[in-house]
Amino acid sequence: MPKRRQQPDASRRNFLKGAGLVGAAAAVAPPVAANAMPAVPAEKLKAALPGPRHVATETMPPNSDPVNQSSSGGDFMTDVLNSLGIEYMAINCASSYRGLHEAVINHGNNKPEIITCVHEDIAVHMAQGYAKIEGKPMAMACHGVVGLQHATMAMYNAWCDRVPVLVMGGNIMEADKRAPGAEWLHAGVDIGQIVREFTKWDDQPASLQHFAESAVRAYKIATTPPMGPVFLALDAELQENPIPDAESLRIPKFAPVIPPQGDSAAIAQAAKMLVEAQNPVIVCDRVARTPAGMANLVELAETLQCAVIDNAGRMNFPSRHPLNQSFRRAMIGQADVILAIEMNDLWGTLTHFSDRINRRSRPAYKPDTKVITLGVRDLYLKSNYQDFGRWQDVDLDIAGDGEASLPALTEAAKRLIDDGRKSAYAERGKKLAAAHLAMVERSKTDATIGWDASPITTARMCAEVYNQIKDEDWSVVGTSIRLSWMHRLWDFKKPHQWNGVSGGAGVGYNLPASLGAALANKKHGRFTLAFGGDGDFMFNPGALWTAAHHKIPILYIVQNNRAYHQEYMYLIAMAARHGRGVDKMDIGTTIKDPNIDYATVARGMGAHGEGPITDPKDLAPALTRAIAAVKAGGPAVVDVVTDPR
Amino acid sequence: MKKFKRIAVTALAVAALGVGSVSVAQDAPQGNAANGKRIFLADGCFTCHGRSGQGGAYNGPAPILAHTALPFDGFKGQLRNPSDDMPAFSEAVLSDKDIADIYAFVQSLPGPTSAKDIAILNN
Repeated sequence: MPKRRQQPDASRRNFLKGAGLVGAAAAVAPPVAANAMPAVPAEKLKAALPGPRHVATETMPPNSDPVNQSSSGGDFMTDVLNSLGIEYMAINCASSYRGLHEAVINHGNNKPEIITCVHEDIAVHMAQGYAKIEGKPMAMACHGVVGLQHATMAMYNAWCDRVPVLVMGGNIMEADKRAPGAEWLHAGVDIGQIVREFTKWDDQPASLQHFAESAVRAYKIATTPPMGPVFLALDAELQENPIPDAESLRIPKFAPVIPPQGDSAAIAQAAKMLVEAQNPVIVCDRVARTPAGMANLVELAETLQCAVIDNAGRMNFPSRHPLNQSFRRAMIGQADVILAIEMNDLWGTLTHFSDRINRRSRPAYKPDTKVITLGVRDLYLKSNYQDFGRWQDVDLDIAGDGEASLPALTEAAKRLIDDGRKSAYAERGKKLAAAHLAMVERSKTDATIGWDASPITTARMCAEVYNQIKDEDWSVVGTSIRLSWMHRLWDFKKPHQWNGVSGGAGVGYNLPASLGAALANKKHGRFTLAFGGDGDFMFNPGALWTAAHHKIPILYIVQNNRAYHQEYMYLIAMAARHGRGVDKMDIGTTIKDPNIDYATVARGMGAHGEGPITDPKDLAPALTRAIAAVKAGGPAVVDVVTDPR
Repeated sequence: MKKFKRIAVTALAVAALGVGSVSVAQDAPQGNAANGKRIFLADGCFTCHGRSGQGGAYNGPAPILAHTALPFDGFKGQLRNPSDDMPAFSEAVLSDKDIADIYAFVQSLPGPTSAKDIAILNN
């Protein structure tokens, strides 16, 4: 039997013995002597021996400063957030708001429920999509500097889309409290300035009571039309440290602002102009902010039996309503009175613009056409970013929330409509209904072109999807650029069946915003689906992990044309203008060689994946399988290789 | 590579069906539909109008080209000096012969059929 080798023992008992010796030695020698650790033979590795800090912990009297606390500012902040009825807080975890993060979990019992995101852009976009379905904000928390910088694109989309989101970023205000390194890199004097140009309001509270009042104020400002994102910088000391005087703190009472109705005299004047018009046309974009909005607009349109052209920023008007003339924009040229409600880009809607060497424009309406505007968009504007669009001449400009003002406008119109007008209106309505029906039939006929082609036409893709979801309580919450077939072929008639687009046309919106909408739809038992381009998908594919982790059911269809297609077309236009190289414009605009396998990406994130589907015959079975996966409670991705548009 | 193989196969099929060289309208010059398809794809016509000529969108709607009723002169005029935002294709990038070939190709594409024959279009 071989003799056991004697080795240094790094067990705790010997550690204490050694510590005693070191402690004794420390009385006569500097602590640096403790750094002299005996070497451990390689053949029998053990844990490293304790360093001087651990030795000191074992041997020296405890520090005098406290190591435990019975309250934290984060607890109070959590109470404030819960008082506002905030259901979710989307986050990418970060040390600058660790106080709030821990408090939400342990003091709030994970209420608001934390939604773990792998990028701040995802977190804010989720909040944007959620708010447009649920009608209220969710919170988002991030690192104050670097996290907020990541979040900016999504905040800009929310700003342009007039959607309320409560964004919070951690910060360490007092310089002497910042640890060396990252805490200096991630702190700022005024971090709100990073996003101030595209938020409605921001603050950096200096006390807990200040936080409470600013949080309630921020929520109120965000949810008052015109809505928008708000930002709060949260001091880490305020979050983490004990509450100094809990008895003095109070959570302010929140009362939502009643959206302003247009001036009654102006409403009466608008009603008179509309009633007396021969061809009134309503154009709209973001009218419906609650389920009542669509019904209000339908009632006005039916009262007047007039055309409605919907830019579809929200679910404003049923797609198959006989008065829906959204695909007959030439109607604008026939109008004698145009009522524009909550328009995002009125000038663009009423103008023919030429993207040629000489950029010319001319009105799409007749010179004597009267234009009425109703909305609140222009009541809150900023200077730098030009999302307000070009100046549009109008004849009657009514400041008032569209949805809130519609009932009064409708009632005013009804009072002016006599039997003679009713008869004329009925005739006008019949003509519009016939034109609408012809448009629907034309769309169906057009959809047959290339029906069996590969790559699959976008018309076939939309028809196949609708065939399988039409009997569900569906909600389609995302689309790819200029994909019009849904609105041409599908029967949109419920308020939750559509929630608009990105707002700022910032790429990367579609997948995470759709998930946010799906999160809102989940508790209502709705079937959520979305289309999205492949280019957009690749900005935030990590959102799928969030969907899988939190079991958010959604059918996500990647319209895979293997290109940043709008840019591809623009580049061809440039080459054609210069008379050269039109056949090389796939350089830098296409996403191929290698082709991305989105189904595999999805599976890698824990989602169900189907595709790539290139043969239209394979699409229906793939959709059936994906829908089953969604009904089982998770996300599913179907990669459909399509024609460009 | 797979894409180019598919294009080649389709072009052969078009030729086999006897539409490789067709005169599709009285005012149109002879055009080679197979070569027209090659140009249609290579020069990016498909990006706005779709590979099947279904139409699509650029800055605004891009019209259907499958079996177009547009006469050749109008077709050529739109390519050379478009009335809208469509790119203008000069002779430097697209010869008259190329245009004739593209015209022959889009004329060879099947136009719409009856939607009533496709059940899922009647939901």
